[in-house]
Amino acid sequence: MKIQISNLGKTFEGNLKKNIPDTVAVSEFSINIEDGELVGLLGPSGCGKSTILYMISGLKEPTTGSVYFGDEDVTDLAPEKRGIGFVFQNYALYPHLNIYKNIAFPLEDTWIKTFKQEKKIIKFCTLFSLKDRFNEVIDLINNEKRINKKISKALVIDKISFLLNIPYSYAKFLYKYFLKKDFNLEIFVLFLKENIDKEKEKIKQKGFELDDEYYLLKDGNRVPYKRKINKDEIDLKVKEVAKIVKLEDYLYRKPSEISGGQQQRVAIARALIKSPKVLLLDEPLSNLDARLRLETREEIRRIQQETKITTIFVTHDQDEAMAICDKIVVLKKGKVEQIGAPQEVYDDPKNLFTAKFLGLPPIGVFYGKLKDGYLYLNNNKVLKVDSIEDKDVFIAIRPEGYKKANKDDEFSFSLYITKVISQGRDSEVLALNPNGNDSFKIMIRNEEKYSVGENYFKVKPNKLYVFDKVTQERIYLNEREK
Amino acid sequence: MNEKNNYKAWIYLAPSLILLVVFALYPLIDTFYISFLKDYNYLTGDSSGFTLENYEALFGIIPAPDTIAQLQGPINAFFEYALPNTLLITFVTVPISIALALIIAVLINSIKVCQRFFQTLFFTPYVTNIIAVGMVFGVIFSHTGLFNAIFNLDKYWVENNPETTYWNAMFVIFCDIIWYQLPFKILIFVAGLQGIGKTYYDAARIDSASKIKQFFKITVPLLSPQIFYISITSFINGFKEYQSIAGLFNRPGTSGNSYNLYTVVYFIYDQINAGSGHNVRYACCGAVVLFLIILVFTLIQFYISKKRVHYGA
Repeated sequence: MKIQISNLGKTFEGNLKKNIPDTVAVSEFSINIEDGELVGLLGPSGCGKSTILYMISGLKEPTTGSVYFGDEDVTDLAPEKRGIGFVFQNYALYPHLNIYKNIAFPLEDTWIKTFKQEKKIIKFCTLFSLKDRFNEVIDLINNEKRINKKISKALVIDKISFLLNIPYSYAKFLYKYFLKKDFNLEIFVLFLKENIDKEKEKIKQKGFELDDEYYLLKDGNRVPYKRKINKDEIDLKVKEVAKIVKLEDYLYRKPSEISGGQQQRVAIARALIKSPKVLLLDEPLSNLDARLRLETREEIRRIQQETKITTIFVTHDQDEAMAICDKIVVLKKGKVEQIGAPQEVYDDPKNLFTAKFLGLPPIGVFYGKLKDGYLYLNNNKVLKVDSIEDKDVFIAIRPEGYKKANKDDEFSFSLYITKVISQGRDSEVLALNPNGNDSFKIMIRNEEKYSVGENYFKVKPNKLYVFDKVTQERIYLNEREK
Repeated sequence: MNEKNNYKAWIYLAPSLILLVVFALYPLIDTFYISFLKDYNYLTGDSSGFTLENYEALFGIIPAPDTIAQLQGPINAFFEYALPNTLLITFVTVPISIALALIIAVLINSIKVCQRFFQTLFFTPYVTNIIAVGMVFGVIFSHTGLFNAIFNLDKYWVENNPETTYWNAMFVIFCDIIWYQLPFKILIFVAGLQGIGKTYYDAARIDSASKIKQFFKITVPLLSPQIFYISITSFINGFKEYQSIAGLFNRPGTSGNSYNLYTVVYFIYDQINAGSGHNVRYACCGAVVLFLIILVFTLIQFYISKKRVHYGA
């Protein structure tokens, strides 16, 4: 589903009596999201990213602007009618329901428009079509019996239903017959066949015919029929999404009995079960520990690519956004700073905020000057530039944008190194900011040897960005940079 | 734990333990004891051995021995009226008042304007004395009162009048008790509701759960600890009902010498004073019966709660 958002804005009304002014949480937010894209809304806390997500979901009403899902204007549509899945920051799993019921919750009591069917014949036909795999079921049951002295009937039935992709009630039917003492596979298959014929006869007597997908035909047409979704359908669907998020073994536990990462996946499963057109995730990883966060973000990416659902997710962690998003939106105080593919935004920041926000270790920022066709960093010429008007600027250099130089080299400059941190593959150097008391990090290759004290560097031009001192917008030094 | 230091704990606990033993445990045991004494006289302390005849008299199996004729009526009324009335009052007023309180609490919680005001408004009856409430209800339900006027009725609800029927009187009692019981329940429920995270409802909206489904599938289960607490305490209070009848009627029956509005506690109270100390044994029997009823119902509720109450929302 394509999403088109234009000019979205949200103002929270203040209270003048209590000296709280109006707060503009989001203003002029516009973006086009292509079908199947994973978009990250990225920004520091309080930048309005969650508010945007809530407005897309419909849980908050925008003050201005519009949201289109495909060609449909959903700006004023109730959240439940938008066909979205939402993963809340704290997951909002219902604590009194087990995982199965949590996942099934959105499906319960939903009405579906379908055509008339006969339940029994579907069951017999489905089972009959699986007759070649019954051996697997027998193996499974025998295996369970061998491993466990006492087998939990429900769990074995569940395993059968997972194995054959059939609802619980079908699996129970199989289980019941397979455990009979005088069970014989051939007779059972015949028994199914007989039942199918019997049911077909019944349907004929009622004046219907049957088509390939087991819909009833009256005068060659399917009969439209509105009904509540039934237990078998819910069961199949729950198991389908449980498989996607790998929660098959945890379905009957309460949310409090599983780990944070698993809870997170339950929340995703619940969001997925209605096959939403759009999946929204609000800081889905913020409650997880560092290791789990890495795993889960890959998981989210995998699920998203498997299901191909247009996904928007909110995060304050640039690393996370860079790692899994097709497109990131950098936000600051409710305004878009830059939109683009992660690498593109990293390589070509449009303003100082974006440059500072992306990248780890963070970019080093210095005062500088453009003068007579040269870029100066603290009175050192560091770069020749095309003729641009002279002005004071900020120079930002990525940590990997330095190379070793000699004192006499052209464009070299000195930095005072306070610490060398070896990290195996490459090293980090802590250097004093010539403009102040703080220090910043430089990434170096291990072949280059540095020692604490005065060192000389040159910059790599493509890792250096210059920003206007007043507007903090990017100044392009050369034509080719643009 | 250091075993040797245990005595310190006992010393700290002593004041409350002593009070508990003197004012709760001893009377409890004594009540059981007295209820089995034959011909016990409270004033003299005389008795002649153990017997079951006190209970037999209470349940109408034998006429109460050693009792003057005019005190026979009230004792027979225990089984005939007091016990059924108590059960009736409890099983009518408790569920209705819990359901009403829940609905009102949800409504109060959902309004944004003047929430505090309504919260206070609904809580005010709680600070009123129940006898006073009963008297006011007595005026409202009097023959010339507000209730008859509003609904254009010509009925006798509370007066000592032959036309005051049992069910009329019971209706007034139900109204009085429910009205008086609501505020505290509402308070507890509103507090509980405010502890339920808003995201559950956001999630439920996204999941397209209707308001009704939200109420039954989210609000009620997440509020179940409060509902459980309220139901236990109000069942106990319901079984102990007495004040509302005293306040409304100031007599145990719809007409002069009837006891058809008796409750167990009313009976106990009457028996303590009656028969110059001779009838205390019947009061004790009544108390024991009440104790057992409350015990059984509380156990049942605890049993149910294991399945139905969800802690840790």
